[in-house]
Amino acid sequence: MTAEEALLVEQVTSAHRERGGDGSIHAHRAWFDLDETGRLAAFDATVELRRLEAALHPRGESATVAAVLARLTR
Amino acid sequence: MHEELTQLAAISTGDAAAFARWCSTAEAPLRRALRTFAAQVDTEAVVQETLLRVWQVAPRFTHDGQPHALLRFAVRTSRNVALSECRRRRVTPPEEAPEPTVAPITPDPLLRAHLARCREKLPGAPRSALQQRLDSGGADDDTALAARLNMSLNTFLQNFTRARRFLRECLEKAGVNLAEELP
Repeated sequence: MTAEEALLVEQVTSAHRERGGDGSIHAHRAWFDLDETGRLAAFDATVELRRLEAALHPRGESATVAAVLARLTR
Repeated sequence: MHEELTQLAAISTGDAAAFARWCSTAEAPLRRALRTFAAQVDTEAVVQETLLRVWQVAPRFTHDGQPHALLRFAVRTSRNVALSECRRRRVTPPEEAPEPTVAPITPDPLLRAHLARCREKLPGAPRSALQQRLDSGGADDDTALAARLNMSLNTFLQNFTRARRFLRECLEKAGVNLAEELP
């Protein structure tokens, strides 16, 4: 993996995702620039990172959980 | 089972804290079940969309009497969300696999203790990059987080990579192999 691809993978590990006007959650822009190998690497890195985030959070909430909780409506 | 039903009842009535506790145990198995889609769709977006749908549907959800009913429903929902995204983007979905057996994953106190010690040893810039991501909780993109630290995006990402690598190696020295520990 090139240094440029590694930086794309790192961006995709973020829990930040843009939302569309209809409320749908968009894929990360960097994800589209990755090939299949990069996308699988991003998936595995995200699995690892979310577990670390949860272990560092007092209530065990990863960045994904935090992002979802911030968007709750009913 | 009683605990699960109590938790579902709380979520159904709009208890966000109960939903957060459920999400914290459901996220990892939910994400793992999406690995076959990882080359076709951005699974982070699918996981978030799925969790939001579960929250919306919870008041009308009927428990089937078997363990982990809401998690199994979430896994089915996530695969449907992923398939819809494949269709929308006109990409071929992965071959259909049987629905995986899933169970909640509770936090590992040993990992937590080791990780807290490793975090204390993180050097300055990687520590700051990690802290920005943790504080943001997905609210901001990395460009915004980098700007807060007066870093370029690339420098921020390099520091974040260093932080992850440092923590992984520190945990390995403590006898925690993430490749084995992580689901």
